[in-house]
Formats: sequence, structure tokens, C-alpha cells
Amino acid sequence: MSVVEKEKNNLDKEEKIVTALSKKLNKKVNIQRKKRLWVSIEPKEIVDACSIAYDMGFEHLSTISVTDWIEKNNFEIAYHLWSYKEKMLLTIKTRINRENPTISSVTSLWSKNAELCERECHEFYGVIFEGNVNLTPLMLEDWTGPPPFRKDFDWRKYVQQEYYDESNPREDIYFEVKK
Amino acid sequence: MTEIEERQGDFEMYFGPAHPGSGNFSVRVQLRGERVMKAVVDPGYLHRGFEKLMEYREPMQNSVLSDRICVLEPLQWNLLHAEAVDTLMGYDIPERAKYIRVILAELSRIQSHFIWYAVMSMGTGFTTGFNVAMGYRDYMLDVFDYITGGRLYPAGYICPGGVRKDLPEKAEKKILTLFEKIDYMHKFAKKENPVWLERFKEVGVLTKEEAIKLGATGPILRASGVASDVRRDDPYEIYDELEFEIPVFDEGDAYSRYLIAMQEIEESKKIVKQAIDRMPKGEVKTSNMKPIVHFRKAKGETYTRNELSRGEGAIYMIATGKKTPYRVKIRGPSFTHMIPILKHLLTDSYYADVPAIYWSLNQCPADVDR
Repeated sequence: MSVVEKEKNNLDKEEKIVTALSKKLNKKVNIQRKKRLWVSIEPKEIVDACSIAYDMGFEHLSTISVTDWIEKNNFEIAYHLWSYKEKMLLTIKTRINRENPTISSVTSLWSKNAELCERECHEFYGVIFEGNVNLTPLMLEDWTGPPPFRKDFDWRKYVQQEYYDESNPREDIYFEVKK
Repeated sequence: MTEIEERQGDFEMYFGPAHPGSGNFSVRVQLRGERVMKAVVDPGYLHRGFEKLMEYREPMQNSVLSDRICVLEPLQWNLLHAEAVDTLMGYDIPERAKYIRVILAELSRIQSHFIWYAVMSMGTGFTTGFNVAMGYRDYMLDVFDYITGGRLYPAGYICPGGVRKDLPEKAEKKILTLFEKIDYMHKFAKKENPVWLERFKEVGVLTKEEAIKLGATGPILRASGVASDVRRDDPYEIYDELEFEIPVFDEGDAYSRYLIAMQEIEESKKIVKQAIDRMPKGEVKTSNMKPIVHFRKAKGETYTRNELSRGEGAIYMIATGKKTPYRVKIRGPSFTHMIPILKHLLTDSYYADVPAIYWSLNQCPADVDR
């Protein structure tokens, strides 16, 4: 099979999946590039959408990532799912309000794997996953500050305040960035 | 997991972080006699916050930073980061650079599997295995030193746009001589060893369904009977042009994970030899790249996946037209292997099997914590 034919076959395969997924999810599924699909949904549909995707073969939850869009005052949560059967990656994206970051958990589908990914997102972004019973701290020990990966957490300022003394001549070098 | 009621006589023990064979990671096991009733994993000893650090740095700086995500396979993380930036910038990588990248990534896989063999030996008290593997790995580090300038950390040798420098003179010959040198170690490790059979056979069995559900990838998934490899399923660089096998075993125990490692070393050697044979001459950096990456031109996002020695590694990068990436999410393969899977395998096992199970998962605490 020539390269061109191969390429065409691949895209045909994606088109097929996109049509089936769009129909089931009732949303427009987009092709970002070869083997990469994405869809944007409402936060309340997340469990249903993931379970439809799971049934269609997207059984591997690669990871869950949160992006802090501070200017738009929301968090974008992306679920990256891989299909062993179709050999394709589907990203399901949804946006939740930054003031009240709550979303349903997908632990019913991916049990401990989802629990872990959500626990990480909770620790670093403060997103609450309803239904996840284990949102205890994972990496950070005795951390009492705000979720550290949020865009409004200024780690430079935090480190200066917590660990250095400006009046100490041996440490004032750490304040030069600010000046 | 349901909470297990504590009985009189139950006691807790720490496996790590100060255990000679645990790495910077710890597991708290609750024991009843010799049996592990419950295991609680405790990551975070190596958390450096790479995802946040990368938001403050330009891609070329991040390229150097990406070495440090996993100490045991820095070149592969270099490659993964470079690919993510390449996709966002739309760089067309010269053929020669692709071949060099693949050669280095595969050499890195071989030395990482040597470490895997070494720590598995150490975990089960077979110190000779550890010494032999670490000793022979040193020959590989000499070659890395010769090519990249760093024995362990290549300092961003595989950078966005290609590789930093062309291969030095006679590098190909050195690599082929290296294979002859390390052949002894490979033969030594492949020999059927009664101690290994005793310690690893039917220990830490992970079924196919559990492996998929708990997010296993790479050698751990292949040892449980799923023929999945990012190099084959989602090819990057020149992997679709190369011939190599994907070893798969159905048993799902620690011994089959070890067998996978041994066969993968063979396959990696095959890939490197093919790449050296076919490597074209030419540039090693894309022509539209100035000394620095003009990341302001990049917009959009990418989810780039690679097959690392430990499994699927991925970087989700978002660019918004600023000098630095807006968001970088890193998926380390050990993250799922060492938390849900380890917990699952340790529950109801024997305490003496803890090191065998622990190391058969080929973990890297650095990529769990990031």
C-alpha cells in the first residue's frame, strides 16, 4: 500500500469514529491531527460522556489535566483517553467555574487510576471531584497554603516570605528579582 | 479499598524511603504475621514541581529541565519534550536528526533495562546481578558522554528542532563495539537462574483486565497480555519504518515482566543497528530555527506520547503566544504503576515478596513525583 493510500485509510478510520462518537455524544467531535480527536462538553455530562467513550473502546485513561484559565475565570479539565482497539486518542474537555470548582468523579469507570489522577488535580488546583472518597494530600507534606499550581499563586513571593529575610545581608540577594 | 480492621498483633512497617533498595519512595505495609494486609504508598520525596517550573521557562531551558524528570532515562524525556515543542512550532525535523534521536532513545532504553535488572537483583539479594549490570551500564554511559557530553544528563542534547550537535566522529563504530561489550551482561542476565525463578515466578500477578483498568502501560501491560506499544500504535520519529517485535507474555507475573525486559533489550539493539545502517547524511537541526525557539509563534495545544522504558510517557502542552508555555502537564509511566498497581499487588502478598513485586514494576520515583 502506498503512503498516500495509507494516509487516506487512516483519516477514513478517524472520520468513522468521529461520526459514531458525534452521534452518541450529540456534540461535534473534532480531529486535531492524525490519531488525535477532541470534544468539548458540559461539566454535568462528564460521566455519561466518559462512559460512552469507554464503551466505544477508549478504555485507557492516560491522564486528567487541569488548566487554570484565570482571565476567563474557569478551569479546563481534560480527560485524555486512549483506545487500544482504534489506536486513537480522545480528549474530552470541559470547563468549570473557578469560584466553585466542582465536578463529578469518574472513579466508577477507572476506579483507582481515576481516583489517583483526581487526587493529584485536587491537590494542585483545588478542584473537588464529587464521588471520589479519597482526595487526601498526595505529594505535598503539611501544605496549608492555596493550591500551588493555580496561576494566582506566586511562588517567588511565597518563598521569599517563608524562607528568606530581607534584612539579612546574606539573603537579600533573593529579593533582587522583585526589585 | 475497604479499611481492614486492626487486630492485636498486627504491626506496621515501612518499606523505604531509607531501605537500601527502595529509592526515594516509601510504602507503609500493615502486616499480620508474614502477610501484607494493607499497603499505603507515600510518594512526594522527589516532588520538584516541573509542571509549574516549565511555565516560567522558555522551551530551550525546559529542554534541559526535562532531563531531570526521570534520572534513569533522561534522553527519552528529552525526546518527549522536544517532540511536544516541535509539534506546536510545526518544525520539520531533518531525517538525520530523527535517526540520531531514535538511536539515543533506544540506547537509553537498554541502559534503563540494565538498571531494572540490577535493582531486581538487589531487591532479591542477588548482589552479583546488581554489580554486573551496573558495571556494564557504565560502558553505555561512556558512549553517552562521548555523544552528548554528559554521562547521565545530556543537558538537552535532544532539543526542539533536532539535536544539538551531529554525532561525533566514529560514534557509530563506538556504539557497535559497545554492543559487543555488553553482550556478556545480556547473556548473563538471560540465563535461567533458580533463585530468580523461585522469587519471581507467580509473584505479583496482574491480570489483563486489572492492568487496563488500573492504567498499566509499557512492559507491565505487555507482561499482562496486551500487545500495546506507542512506537507501533502511535508512531513517532522513524519508528514506523523500522522492523522490530513487541514481546508479549500472558502470565502477568514478576517473572514475565523480567522476560519482557530481556527481550526488549534485544529489540532495541535491532532498532539501533537498523538506524545506524540507514542513517542519511545531512543537517541535524531544522532550518527555520534560529538559535532559540520563537515560542511566541506557537499557538494551540498538543498531547504528545512516547514509549519510554517504563511505559507511556506524555506531555500535554498549551501555548498561548507567550515566550513560555501556558501549561505543561507531564504524565510519568510510574505514576500509575507505583500507586494503584503496587497497592493492588502488595495487598495479600507476603512481606518477603515486597521487594520482588516493587522492583518488577520498574519504577522511577522521580517520574511519579515530577
